[in-house]
Amino acid sequence: MTFTKTLPASRGLPLAAMGVVALLAALFLIPVVIGDEFVYHIFITICLFAGLSTAWNIVGGYAGQLSLGHAMFYGIGGYAGVILMNMGISPWLGMFVGAGVAALVAVVVSYPCFRLQGPFFALATIAFLEVFRVLALHFRGLTGGAMGLMIQLKLGWEWMVFRERLPALIIAFGLMLVCLAVAHLIRSHRLGFYLVATRERESAARAAGVQTVKVRLIAVAVSAALAAMLGTFHAMYLTFIEPAAMFSLSFSIQIAMFALIGGIGTIYGPLLGAALLVPVTEFARGMLGAEALGLHGFVYGVVLVLAVLFMPNGIMGALQRFTARRTGGEEQAVQAGPVVAAARTAESPEERPAIGREVMRVENLDKHFGGLHVTNNVSFSLREGEILGLIGPNGAGKTTVFNMISGFLQPDSGSVSVLDREGRFQNPVTPGDFAALGVGRTFQIVQPFAAMTVEENIMVGAFYRHHDVNDAREAARETAHRMGLAPWLNAEARGLTIGGLKRLEVARVMAMEPRILLLDEVMAGINQTDVRRAIDLMLSIRDTGVSIIAIEHVMQAVMSLSDRVIVLNSGEIVAEGKPHDVVRDPDVIEAYLGKDFAHAQY
Amino acid sequence: METFLQVVANGLMLGGLFAIISIGLTLIFGIIKVVNFAHGEFLMAGMFLTYLITTQLGLHPYASVVVVAPALFVLGAVTQKLLIQPLLSARDEHVQIFATVGLSTAMINLALLIFGADIANTPSSGLRSSIQLGPVRILEGQLYILICAALLVVGLEFFLRRTQTGRAIRAVAQNRAAAQLMGINVNWIYVLSFGIGAACVGLASSLVAPLYPTSSTIGTYFVLTAFVVVVLGGLGSIPGAFVGAIIIGLLDSLAGFYIGSDLREAVVFGVFLVILILKPSGLFGTRLKLSHIS
Repeated sequence: MTFTKTLPASRGLPLAAMGVVALLAALFLIPVVIGDEFVYHIFITICLFAGLSTAWNIVGGYAGQLSLGHAMFYGIGGYAGVILMNMGISPWLGMFVGAGVAALVAVVVSYPCFRLQGPFFALATIAFLEVFRVLALHFRGLTGGAMGLMIQLKLGWEWMVFRERLPALIIAFGLMLVCLAVAHLIRSHRLGFYLVATRERESAARAAGVQTVKVRLIAVAVSAALAAMLGTFHAMYLTFIEPAAMFSLSFSIQIAMFALIGGIGTIYGPLLGAALLVPVTEFARGMLGAEALGLHGFVYGVVLVLAVLFMPNGIMGALQRFTARRTGGEEQAVQAGPVVAAARTAESPEERPAIGREVMRVENLDKHFGGLHVTNNVSFSLREGEILGLIGPNGAGKTTVFNMISGFLQPDSGSVSVLDREGRFQNPVTPGDFAALGVGRTFQIVQPFAAMTVEENIMVGAFYRHHDVNDAREAARETAHRMGLAPWLNAEARGLTIGGLKRLEVARVMAMEPRILLLDEVMAGINQTDVRRAIDLMLSIRDTGVSIIAIEHVMQAVMSLSDRVIVLNSGEIVAEGKPHDVVRDPDVIEAYLGKDFAHAQY
Repeated sequence: METFLQVVANGLMLGGLFAIISIGLTLIFGIIKVVNFAHGEFLMAGMFLTYLITTQLGLHPYASVVVVAPALFVLGAVTQKLLIQPLLSARDEHVQIFATVGLSTAMINLALLIFGADIANTPSSGLRSSIQLGPVRILEGQLYILICAALLVVGLEFFLRRTQTGRAIRAVAQNRAAAQLMGINVNWIYVLSFGIGAACVGLASSLVAPLYPTSSTIGTYFVLTAFVVVVLGGLGSIPGAFVGAIIIGLLDSLAGFYIGSDLREAVVFGVFLVILILKPSGLFGTRLKLSHIS
């Protein structure tokens, strides 16, 4: 799914901003100028759907959790508004009660569902929607059951019910603006980056210290609250509600559809989708009337299918491709900027800081995968400013050890303790705990946030230290310069070569300013020049006082970098010591090359 | 006791109905790994076709299967070829979900355009008469559905395990790339599988149409339960779908009788959510990868 940057601060900005402002102005002014009842109705409906779809997009787009049950929150808002109004409470208050209830329901409902992915999440949301519909039908005393609920006809601003259409348009328009503002705020701040990062690669986001469950729960709560407020408004506008209409699957699908057609994950895509599609289908319905029962739904369905096939990134995606082609030349020029090499100036080795106290202690780690003993009584420690090489043949359990010392796997027994900033040893459990203690890791199989730019990828890491967007951006740029990634700052991560991706992996962790760095085969599969650069890079990182554990197969790197090497074979440590001693150890030779070779040597 | 047995018998019959509807859905998911949100609308299309054949040509509804099943096969194959195939390499699954959701919306409303909002009753040809089986009474047509569902499960399992094409299908289901390397035409297998899955729905439509009134929204009515059944049985497992269907049938019937007919759906979906959250792999499904590290 394409992901739009918060409109880049280039010449594109005024044009895009002007477009949005013009569209918003048109949405409000056209009906006022024409003054026709039907036109008013269409534009109120546009505002309603644009608002709902924008709210949906916070969950479905930014967080990537495809909800087909959003009518649930809309319905809750509608019922809260009507029930309270009939008790004599103004819908302006009911609106917030509905929003609160919807946010609560959203959190309770979503928490277990976040384990599900793709179609399963969608199915679960549909099931919840159905449960709500059935419950609304069942509790007649509260909801009026299948007969529905009529609002008491009390007119005026206080009751949100009007004879004329203009006030309704003002409210719908206002609520839509609120949704857009919230969506914009989220997308351009830390939360938005965290949501998109979680969507793209959950484990990498967790390694970057993102509390993935928490940020998504915030997103659904906000999204549900906004949808509920629009639900209250719409109930007042319709003056009558019933379970079949308020908790409808096809209504949920429409909400999601406008976002898809406009551009999922973009801020203004849902607005665009609703503004284009609602009038077409409403006019078709108005013109053809009852003879063409189902026509507008048919059009929706066909448009959805066509959009998915030919324009999966929506209108915004198409617009972007168009503008990118036009400004392509300029971008090239920007990209050809100065390459700041990561190479460290050849300094004398004596300048490096001395190896200090222990910062990580790993004791008796044991882990079984079924009958396989992947890690057997592994103990070692890491000192400040030290580079510890972790080598061993394939399947020796190196990555498993990494997963256990970064919180991604729990050992069956044994402990991992990390020195905190106050000088005490802590026992972190989750990836979040490890990140908080300054442990950063990379992944053997690179895990870039593919749809984000290089800069944004690094910013996700930088947000761990800097809450403000501008600070994070600044820190990310600095890190990018150090890693030699500066020329690609605005390129999407998916376009990088494998060497670039490995460097990005390191850059993202470095932006978190870790004290302990776990590098999982950052040199595998990259060319000689890049290996030499990576070696320099690691040395320069070490010189800032960071301790490093590196899993590596590239022996040239292991030998020249490591202060100490641990050899793992079949889950056990078979040797430990200075690099040059270790490679001559008969056990190590046997582990890599087999018994026969080891015998042949002696 | 009599009542209880009757409720259980009704549950079993309902289970047979759910099974015959769900088998095609689980087959398609198991092989192509796509959840067909338009599955219910395939059923609806098949039922309308059965209705037209029986009323226009005066055939027995069961006889219409010779037309309906091949027609649905073509519908399924075309859907795969034109809609799913181009999206299989899509970066995320959302597009695939939207594709079949869009197809579903279009089909429901197309039916509404053609047949209107009225209900179409397929002639029952005596299938709605009840027969006495020991202490319980059941509808003749329901019994046939249960038998057909069981036979279909056995038949499909035989096809998938004992024939060359079946083995190719299973190979593709387990590892698309490896199957391709072994010289299997993966795209053709997908088209074939979607067709077979849809043809199963065709069979189901001819069996169901005489018992249930057909309308444009009948698919939505059945498909949600079919999803529950398929997830309970383990997505992709054909015997699992059968067992899941019987369980859900019994649950539906018992809950409807002892808790209240208007809440039975809430009970069924409640169970669905519990399974989905606690054991998303279902009873017989292979373990789903919920998260992966490096």
